[in-house]
Amino acid sequence: MSGAVRFNAMHFMPYVHLPENHKDYKSLWVSFPNKYFDPEKGHALYERYLSELVLADRLGFDAIVVNEHHNTVYSMMATPNLIAAALVPQVKNARICVWGTPPNFMLPNRLAEEYAILDVMSKGRLEIALPLGTGMEYWSNPVNPATAREKFKESLKIMLQAWTEDGPTTHYGTHYTYRFLNPWPRPFQRPHPPCYIVGTGSPETIEIAAELGFGYASVFVTQQRARELNETLRQRASQYGHTLRPDQLPLQSWVYVAETQERAEKEYIEHLQRFFEIYARTTPQFLAPPGYLSVDQLKQRAAMADKMHGGFDFDAVSKSFFIAVGTPEKVANQLGEWGQLMKTNHFNCVMHIADMPHWKTVKNLTLMAEEVFPRLRARSAQPALRAAAE
Amino acid sequence: MSKFTRETHTINGVKTVVHTAGSGEPVVFFHGGGTIDGFDFAEAWTDRFRVIVPYHPGFGESDDDPTYTEMHDYVMHYLELFDAMRLDRFNLVGLSFGGYLAAKFACEHGHRVKKLGLIAPAGMIDPLNPMLDILAIPGEEVPGLLVSDFEVLKRRLPEKPDLDFIGDRYREATTLARLLWERPGDPKFMRYLHRLKMPTMIVWGDEDKVIPVQQTETWRKFIPNADIRVFKGAGHLVHLERREAVEAVGRFLS
Repeated sequence: MSGAVRFNAMHFMPYVHLPENHKDYKSLWVSFPNKYFDPEKGHALYERYLSELVLADRLGFDAIVVNEHHNTVYSMMATPNLIAAALVPQVKNARICVWGTPPNFMLPNRLAEEYAILDVMSKGRLEIALPLGTGMEYWSNPVNPATAREKFKESLKIMLQAWTEDGPTTHYGTHYTYRFLNPWPRPFQRPHPPCYIVGTGSPETIEIAAELGFGYASVFVTQQRARELNETLRQRASQYGHTLRPDQLPLQSWVYVAETQERAEKEYIEHLQRFFEIYARTTPQFLAPPGYLSVDQLKQRAAMADKMHGGFDFDAVSKSFFIAVGTPEKVANQLGEWGQLMKTNHFNCVMHIADMPHWKTVKNLTLMAEEVFPRLRARSAQPALRAAAE
Repeated sequence: MSKFTRETHTINGVKTVVHTAGSGEPVVFFHGGGTIDGFDFAEAWTDRFRVIVPYHPGFGESDDDPTYTEMHDYVMHYLELFDAMRLDRFNLVGLSFGGYLAAKFACEHGHRVKKLGLIAPAGMIDPLNPMLDILAIPGEEVPGLLVSDFEVLKRRLPEKPDLDFIGDRYREATTLARLLWERPGDPKFMRYLHRLKMPTMIVWGDEDKVIPVQQTETWRKFIPNADIRVFKGAGHLVHLERREAVEAVGRFLS
């Protein structure tokens, strides 16, 4: 696994039928009125999005990635394990990544059970990411953001204990007491499905991943920050005696492939712009509920937010994030270069974004699989490049 | 130039800063759930009293203790601080969150509280006149809700919130969230209010946008003998907006 290059198809499943007056609302998260959800349209979207992920499997993507958000048009996957369960019988080869449910919003034994069920049903194709959850989720779920990190750590301990120790065992902690921790079923993969911590690279989450030897799936971080994050994580993990494999540090990239550069940009940029300007729109208050961040982190982020001004600028966004848009050759080169830079062979590719229509998603998935994969797979077979990646 | 002098006590490992001024019978003042309003108003009491203003852990100049996760941790903190300061019996005044804490302290340790002053106290669960859930309000909107006349508060705020100011407010909101995020109110708080047998004064601004002035009637039900004074045209920080409110509390304590 650590040697071969790997491609995931990630989908957010956004609700795209926004009312015309959506700009009147300060945030499309947390407080955006749910009266704007039309179940008829929602049904059609679920059908469509599931078909896109099934197609990704047929085309040869190595993994399908779903994740969890609440109270938002950004994602219709409030409970991603349900989506994963719907995918299991349809996705025949790809691994299924639930990246993931914040353990703080579930009883840890129940989350361990759900993941075990998915792993057994899929015959060991499940991968898990363990997020703290965005700040927004703490306004939507009755969980204290000020004690979230310690509760998160305790939940992880319980889940790992449930998977790795023969039950019944006990747990007497700060947030949970288990007199009989003995969940059925147990996971198909031993000792448990591959786990990643997912986050934006706060020192606290990096430390958790380092200590447990987990991978780290960074999201919404700039290229520079991702590089620093991976470097810090490798160093910290080695302090705990863990050596991270390249595939444990997936690189999240937004991808769009078309016949020409011009066409790719013409077909893609409007959706990327709406992703940043509309779907991801929230408030500083919702991003950072009290206690969710340390005061130092809060000040750092407030300082960063101050520096970002002006409208959407594709060139600037492309330079700071991992956004690969263009011909198959260009996208392959771009991803290959980033893989070397980040010392990873694992590309977590966002293949659908915002209100991108079905035809573009199908086109993107198809060109990626048929034109980009062979180029990068051929290169990764070359020993020199493989060595660089490892 | 402030009359107050600053002293530091370490209580169970938590650095606790206390400002004191004046001489006479001790009056302890518990500040509210934020510290932007300052405590210089209490200088008006220093001609008759030794005024003692501690910063609660997690606020202002005192250190944090993330293990303080319930109101009772603060009651115990003050029990130990007062012991350390050899304050046996004293007058206790609390504002808003500090009023909630003062009432809770006085319910449990009434023999140490000579007189109790509550300024727009929090803590009351009053479904018909609920307190604003301040944790749900965007930070930039909070100052405007605290007073009727914004000019009163404006001079205490930076012209444009800088990072330190934002960080300080976030820290104090974090302290409150540890205590109140899951359960902003404790239904058992009211059960023991009948223990407040000491002379008690409650003051309120009739334009309070944080805790409705109608809650005075609810307090009256629990503490029938309380001397309740309502000041017209004042908001939640009635002590900043109405000098008469501070004077009324001073006379009550004398």
